[in-house]
Amino acid sequence: MNIDDKTTRALAASLKYRQMRQELIASNIANAETPGYKAKKLDFEDALARALDTDEQQTLKTTDSKHFNVGGGGFNNLQPEIYEESNGIVSPDGNTVDRDQEMADMAENKIMYDASIQLLNKKLGLMKYTVGSDR
Amino acid sequence: MDLLTSLKISSSGLTANKKRMAAITSNIANAQTTRTAEGGPYQPKEVVFGSEPAKESFSEILSGEMGENAQTVIAKEVSNSKKPPVLKYEPNHPDANAEGYVAYPNINTMEEMANMIEASRAYEANINAMNTAKSMALKDLEIGKN
Repeated sequence: MNIDDKTTRALAASLKYRQMRQELIASNIANAETPGYKAKKLDFEDALARALDTDEQQTLKTTDSKHFNVGGGGFNNLQPEIYEESNGIVSPDGNTVDRDQEMADMAENKIMYDASIQLLNKKLGLMKYTVGSDR
Repeated sequence: MDLLTSLKISSSGLTANKKRMAAITSNIANAQTTRTAEGGPYQPKEVVFGSEPAKESFSEILSGEMGENAQTVIAKEVSNSKKPPVLKYEPNHPDANAEGYVAYPNINTMEEMANMIEASRAYEANINAMNTAKSMALKDLEIGKN
């Protein structure tokens, strides 16, 4: 068992991007009444799935060190997407924040964040058990 | 750290809404004020919100993946509303003009009350966002603690 394996790196990436998402949601809620402010969203799930390459379809196999890494590219070049929400409600002053939607997204994000931490703890617990910790 | 930036953004929302609340209460309290230090009736106050990148220095913006996407809110200006005063015919009033009209501030108390509820809801939403960021940060400390 490797401490820096796929699971740990995926969970770490998930924690990082959920923190960023929380930041964006806080920004959207704070600016819910700023004229001209556009609601921003973060999409990282697709990028993470590509990096994990769960179905092994999206990455070209590299059998030689000189081969280019095409496709998923692993965790090092994860590219989450930050975009402006375009299908939301637009108020007369040009603001596109839907505060209720943001609150729901925030609740979901929080639950998934806690879940990731719990999984990470399970993983670490498993390792502790393997190395025979007496705790 | 990202969660601390979240806290900063939410606290900017609280400050902005507090300023807005101050303007609203001032308007309600002075709805009938016909005499001010500047002369004339009370001028209704209006708060204008604007946004600013949460990260201040250039290096912070450059190093962070968020760039300028996370924005704090600021109450940009507390300006006097451009609404003209309402004239009421009260010839016996001490502030009446030569024709017997008194200039009252153009304040709709109902409108101010509605704005107040909106400000209060916005404040609550920011508090909620702040609590979420806080509990996420506290949850971080539980990693590896089992």
